[in-house]
Amino acid sequence: MTSTSSDAVPISTRLSRWANQHRKWLFAAPAMAFTAMLICFPVGWTLYLSLTDAKGSVRRPADFIGISNYLRVLTDTDRFWPAVARTGVFTFGALALELVLGMAIALLLWRTFRGQRWVRVSILLPFVATPVAIAMMWRLIFEPNIGFANRVMGWLGLPPQPWLADPGMTLPTLIFVDVWEFTPMVAIILLAGLSTLPDEPDEAARIDGAGLWQRFWYVTLPMLKPVVLVAVLLRAIDALKTFDLLYVTKGQGGGSFHEAETLNIYVYGLSFKYNDFGVASAVLIIFFLMILAVMWLLTFRRKGAKL
Amino acid sequence: MQHRHAARIAALMAAALGMGTLAACSGDDGESTTLNVTLANHVWTDIITEKIPEFEEQSGLDVVVTQLSEDQLVDNYKVKLNAGSADVDVMMYRPLQVGKLFGQNGYFADITDRVSGAGDWDWEDFQAGPVGLTTYEDQVVGVPMITESEMLYYRTDLLEDAGLEVPTTMAELEEAARTIHEENPGTAGIVMRSQASAAVTQLSGFLYSFGGTWLDDQGHSAIASDEAKEAYAYYGRLLHDYGPDQISTDMSWPESAAIFAQGDAGFWIDASSLYENVYDPAKSQVGDQVGFAPFPAGPDGSRPYNVAAWALGINAASQNQDNAWAFIQWATSPDMTLEIQTEGVPSARTSVWENPEGTESFPEDLAAAIAANGENGVGQDRPLVVGVAEAREIVGAPIVAAITGEDSDQAAEQANEQFEAFLESDG
Amino acid sequence: MSTAQTASAAPAGTGVRPARRRRAPRAKAYSAFRATMIAVVVLVFVVPLLWMVMASFKTNVDIQNTAKTFSFTPILDNYRHVLANDDYLGFVRNSFVVAFLATGISLLLGVPAAYSMSRFNMHKSALVVLLARIIPGVSLLVPWYYVFANLGLVGGYGVLVISHMFILIPISVYIMMSFFDSMPRELEDAALVDGLTPIGAFLRILLRLSVPGMATAAILSFIFSWNNFMFALVLSGANTKTLPVAVFDFVSYASIDWGAIMAATCIMTLPIIVVALLAQKYIVSGLTAGATKG
Repeated sequence: MTSTSSDAVPISTRLSRWANQHRKWLFAAPAMAFTAMLICFPVGWTLYLSLTDAKGSVRRPADFIGISNYLRVLTDTDRFWPAVARTGVFTFGALALELVLGMAIALLLWRTFRGQRWVRVSILLPFVATPVAIAMMWRLIFEPNIGFANRVMGWLGLPPQPWLADPGMTLPTLIFVDVWEFTPMVAIILLAGLSTLPDEPDEAARIDGAGLWQRFWYVTLPMLKPVVLVAVLLRAIDALKTFDLLYVTKGQGGGSFHEAETLNIYVYGLSFKYNDFGVASAVLIIFFLMILAVMWLLTFRRKGAKL
Repeated sequence: MQHRHAARIAALMAAALGMGTLAACSGDDGESTTLNVTLANHVWTDIITEKIPEFEEQSGLDVVVTQLSEDQLVDNYKVKLNAGSADVDVMMYRPLQVGKLFGQNGYFADITDRVSGAGDWDWEDFQAGPVGLTTYEDQVVGVPMITESEMLYYRTDLLEDAGLEVPTTMAELEEAARTIHEENPGTAGIVMRSQASAAVTQLSGFLYSFGGTWLDDQGHSAIASDEAKEAYAYYGRLLHDYGPDQISTDMSWPESAAIFAQGDAGFWIDASSLYENVYDPAKSQVGDQVGFAPFPAGPDGSRPYNVAAWALGINAASQNQDNAWAFIQWATSPDMTLEIQTEGVPSARTSVWENPEGTESFPEDLAAAIAANGENGVGQDRPLVVGVAEAREIVGAPIVAAITGEDSDQAAEQANEQFEAFLESDG
Repeated sequence: MSTAQTASAAPAGTGVRPARRRRAPRAKAYSAFRATMIAVVVLVFVVPLLWMVMASFKTNVDIQNTAKTFSFTPILDNYRHVLANDDYLGFVRNSFVVAFLATGISLLLGVPAAYSMSRFNMHKSALVVLLARIIPGVSLLVPWYYVFANLGLVGGYGVLVISHMFILIPISVYIMMSFFDSMPRELEDAALVDGLTPIGAFLRILLRLSVPGMATAAILSFIFSWNNFMFALVLSGANTKTLPVAVFDFVSYASIDWGAIMAATCIMTLPIIVVALLAQKYIVSGLTAGATKG
């Protein structure tokens, strides 16, 4: 791959010329082939299984049953659609809070101050720390009887809460953990965006007598829009697929009422708990298409900017 | 067009190269002297892994142990066995949770001839209940090595303060829980599991003692019978009326044990295998004040579960089955079983229980309670079906309804319908 | 934020600001408010982690006792227990080996690919690679295991490295593409005029200039590999278990050792925090790749 030296030996010269001519694909192909190989087989396999009644073990003979798994899934209002709704609530809830708080923090840290380096490093920690470790930590903090969270509630004079133990509070609590973990990442992306903005438009608006909020809303934010979209895109993909946090805190199935069961957890349960591989595959394909659709919507709207 | 073709070949070559390099640095096994043993995190495992060098020496084998916690273990098996992998030779598994599923999938090697031809190792010595669970369609597929039964844990000090005797019936238990709850503000009368599928196993003792079953003789759902409804209502009432003030519907054993171990509950009902969590002073604030009693009697007597919690089986795809069997035989021999039981792991061998040495390490009342449970016990703690996980969620729903104070009879009717539908498609 | 923005700010992005003189009382109040808010933000993000560190020095009885949140006798037993566990240092080594190999090979494949994709505007091809970022991991486990088992790769580092590369290559490509995008095309042209072949120009000029970008890609890759749980859960063998999976060693059938779990998570998190401290600049520029150009 790296035959570059142009010694006088004709064959190596020819090789080098050939390599240089075809470097576009020579460079791109290995990574693409690697990825494609690892994607194609599983996706083909999943597509195939989704059309069969495979159950128990994928090695047991299964019958081809057409699209009935898809029909079953799409009409399942017990588990599938609630899981879709939870995935949506979790993703959009977390994303919205992360954007608002991330923006607030970015604005707070924008202009330089003493100790800025340390502040930036310390808010980076939740994001770089191992998610499984983070999830374990929060599971213990939110333990209703022995956890630190209810201790803090006590200090604030508030009644103890059941947190993850209560079906109604589970999703908000998990959104809180996600917000804690990833707001720093959003803040840092936005901060980098802010620091590249030219000052003149803001200055001009100030001279025109625009207030703080107006200047932010009409001047800064529009200029920051491409950066916001990148942050949304990166976070949305990961939030939709959140696994470690939910698996560690609520386990497979997501609790007594499946209160933390998002699509990814549901799919995991279908495959590894119920061993219902046909249905699991159908949900996977639908889930995948949903993620693609969200990505398409986001990048489609981004076309105005640049890819 | 041509350069695309070239690119494709280049890509394939690069990929093959990459794969080859990686293959070279991956460990190579498959030699018949290497035995892959997969075990769950358990006291049993801790003891046996310390002794494995002895086995390696006497057998000349190289034993590679993979150790995982229960959920991860099951997921791991499912991926590997689904792929038909021969990377697992000996597998530690839960007969009640996956026995039927794995049996039906053909994951287990048939060891009927091996166990019955093992002479001194003495297959007849194993208790009938556990052996029933490791037999799939008349083939022996596993050797049970750990048993557990449903136990009543109580606080000796709280009972004494309230002038109460150790309850022996359901009525006495409820009365005692009520008294403790009323006399000790902030302390629960009783704590038990409350998460739908986790609580199923603990409900089973109540179900049997009230005269109910999971399935009737024809294999139909029996969870809407009057007896079952009574059991659901009773279990839920205990927790709803006398349980912790912050009653969660998401407690499995770690959460309920933690409440009891902090001294926040008078009674705790759960598996005998968990006693260290509340008895060991390094884990419990009330270690000195814990008493153990047999499961209380209901209308149908005291009928707790008494089951084979774990067993050892051989992967049907293993290329190393003779050595795998040698390992199992070594790990479950009468001597080894006795030795492990003296370290606190209840076994499935009758001879060990009859041997006074076998019970002397347990607290006296615990040993007595286990023995009593052994006599009355039922050999299953959950419906014996293929899709156990799904079944547990269904039959566990009325428990949660009862705990939260909803109409558990209606929930049982509803669960009954779902369970019936499930049974029709199960397997 | 910008009432305190005194006089005309220096050119953006340089980080240099004129010193502030003669603050108005209002600006002073704002400055105090801002300092307080920054402190609150830092506390919110750091306190839970500190609590975790404290828990790792407590007995299991003390962890469960809320009265002993701060007043407890620190012990080292948890760390002793974790490090005495069979082969915990082996798991640390496994995590390092897998992360290094996966990062290295990903860069080897990812950097040239990113160059091509940036240089020749191969956005559709880039999407193929980025697709890996989108696909739900659950769908990959069984088929991968099937293939890898048949190739005889299972049980070694190879299968883990491959699975991690699947996550890391898109990261490297994404970061390096935006890096090459921001590099002036004239650089390459000048090198060609000097008589270098295009590949020579890439190897001798562009690669050297993109060291900061590669550092960023490498560090983020390392972190992602180190933290990976789902693939390691099913693909790691007895001798290749990585740290996120090994945390569950302290969740046993009949007991959960919270003290040891907290100690294990601290051990697991420490290297990452060190990396974050040393390489903060690169992590930030990695996160913001594609967000800000030029």
